[in-house]
Amino acid sequence: MAVLAAPAASVKRRRRAVRRVPPTLLLFVLVPLAVEGFWVFWPALQGFYLSLTKWDGVSAPTFVGLDNYAEMLSDDIFGTAALDTVIWIVLFGGLSAAGGLGLAMLLNRERKGVGFYRAALFTPVVFSLVATALIWQAIYQPDGVFNNVLGAIGLDSWKHSWLADPDTALYAVLVPALWRQLGYVMVLYLAGLKGIDPVLYEAAKLDGATAWQQFRHVTWPQLRSVNSVVLSVIIIDSLRSFDVVWSMTKGGPYHSSELLSTYMYSTAFQSLRLGYASALAVVIFVLAFGVIVTYLVRAFREDQ
Amino acid sequence: MTTAAGLSRRHFLRNAGLVGLGALGSSSFLAACATSASNGPVKQAAGAVTVQSNLSSPQAKVAIEALAKAFGDKGGATATVNTVASETFRTQLPSYLTSANPPDTFTWYPGSLLSGYAKKGLLLDVGDVWQTMGNYSQAMRSLSGDGAGHQVFVPMTYYWCGFFYRKSNFAKWGVTPPSTWSEFLTLCETLKGKGISPIGLGAGGGTQWTASAWFDYLNIRINGAQFHRDLLAGRGRFDDPKVKKIFDPWRQVLPYTDPNGTALAFQDATTVLLQGKTGMVLTGTYFADAAPKDAIDDLDFFQFPILDPSVPVAEEGPTDGFFASARTPHQAEVKEWFKYVATPEAQELYIKNSSGTVLPANPSAKNSGTPLVLKGKKMLDEAKELTQFFNRDSSDALQPTADVALIRFIQKPNELDSILSDWQTAAAKVFQGQS
Repeated sequence: MAVLAAPAASVKRRRRAVRRVPPTLLLFVLVPLAVEGFWVFWPALQGFYLSLTKWDGVSAPTFVGLDNYAEMLSDDIFGTAALDTVIWIVLFGGLSAAGGLGLAMLLNRERKGVGFYRAALFTPVVFSLVATALIWQAIYQPDGVFNNVLGAIGLDSWKHSWLADPDTALYAVLVPALWRQLGYVMVLYLAGLKGIDPVLYEAAKLDGATAWQQFRHVTWPQLRSVNSVVLSVIIIDSLRSFDVVWSMTKGGPYHSSELLSTYMYSTAFQSLRLGYASALAVVIFVLAFGVIVTYLVRAFREDQ
Repeated sequence: MTTAAGLSRRHFLRNAGLVGLGALGSSSFLAACATSASNGPVKQAAGAVTVQSNLSSPQAKVAIEALAKAFGDKGGATATVNTVASETFRTQLPSYLTSANPPDTFTWYPGSLLSGYAKKGLLLDVGDVWQTMGNYSQAMRSLSGDGAGHQVFVPMTYYWCGFFYRKSNFAKWGVTPPSTWSEFLTLCETLKGKGISPIGLGAGGGTQWTASAWFDYLNIRINGAQFHRDLLAGRGRFDDPKVKKIFDPWRQVLPYTDPNGTALAFQDATTVLLQGKTGMVLTGTYFADAAPKDAIDDLDFFQFPILDPSVPVAEEGPTDGFFASARTPHQAEVKEWFKYVATPEAQELYIKNSSGTVLPANPSAKNSGTPLVLKGKKMLDEAKELTQFFNRDSSDALQPTADVALIRFIQKPNELDSILSDWQTAAAKVFQGQS
């Protein structure tokens, strides 16, 4: 009897255990949820609400409906900032992905001293971007290193106030941002490359695949999961690129290096138009979220 | 041994509890948490006035800290200085003022921003401090009001602006300071002939606002101080033909302006001036904070030339000082601090420790007495009207719109019409957003 009853009781107990979540577990789920909710979701919702108001940060916000979004349509500076952000995503994202993958392929094979190069390329990631920006600002000075080098190799006519000229400011700021991002993307791809089974290459070689065919049909498909990480990182990093631009040009001269992020900041904290700035923040959020979700949905569909 | 430890532990707990209670009563829960371990800091919190300071340049920082120390040494309340980078200070000011437990006092300047905060009831009325300041000029008094009959500001120092140059360099080049606009142009031409950039500018690298000195001076010289104030307060338009007119003389001197002027920060422009690569810089005396002490003795300045003799002469005389949060728990101590900084001793002490190129706000206080400072004071005393500076007469929110317009004008003077209409659009948004 006792022997027969035991399994039945244990099944019953197990069933009850499945149905009733232990309070400790609940605590572990609910407390972080509450913290996350309070510090992340609530401010995010509030930001969305603020985008529908006019607010100077001191008095109470007044509700204005979609006026802030309507204003964007006729705002030239918003247009410039949006265009610059697109240029930034394409150049910053494209060059760091292509360059990072190239460097990773180059430094993937174990050779003498390859560790040194990997470390050297990764070093800029360790620096704070603001510190990086200060160094590059000095490099770009009218009598800075960059112009001196140009002078030394006989290109005096190319000398330039790189950060003060509206035609070059955006690209001059892009270089230090890229300088840092390359190392980061390289490390992500290196990790991906290490995870590819060498047997696949062996098989490809036996079948007489060229280097390009190996890359196209072995390396690239195998890197798919890394690619989605790199894409997310790039999109998020481009849209939140702020520190390097703000510390070097503040979006200037006259909005020529303005990104959506710097425009949002100056609208909020210089013009004290926090309602409009919140609307800009919502636009940035929608852009980032839209691109990433589209990509992830596609990636998952391919997997199935 | 065990009893002693037990006793002392109990003793400690009781003390801590009492201290915690006391702190809860006097200030906030946060303060209690931070200070419940010992009773030292709590006593201090009861008396110490926190001075939130944006004076981050080395000499000014030393000077304000010396002032706080002298205030503490005199007995009574004490003050602690908390220096914050000026950009952070500016962006955080609304948060400081609206927080439940704000710093007590702030370094700042009079202007529309201050009266805006006063209207919202965020600033402490310091009318009783002004009762001890009977000898202050009427101009200082009205500057420190909120426009509704309350005094909300205590001035400590002010300074002047002009074309600064090195005496030794002018002697070497054989030139003398001009007194009229045409002499000024001749001077520029002469210096350019010697291969020197006549007019230095530091309107790059985060200090674009220095270009506004040019706008201010041209406007007060041609259209007068009242027109200037009205324009900056939103009662005029930047695309007004009268505003457009002031860019004509500016256009005349653009060929003499350092081509790197929009790429250099004003600290670097100071270096370039001291090295003799540029001839002169239109600036306030604050630039001396970035100059070595020995170079300061070699500096001289001349007044911005008169363009229209029929316009009453106005000069920029920006004033610096303090205001306090209406929510300060230390009202009595704050007012004690204000009464102190308004005294001649305090202002003389501050000037002695700073670069010495500012003037004391108290007329009984002695300035540093150098020929440069005496000349600056004389110029301001003789002026019919005083203005502050672009951001002070308008707001820090309007300043970036000026930066965009003026830098673009310096680089592309032919686009003036669209520059001014864009400026008006941007300025209208700022004024609308603030109302």
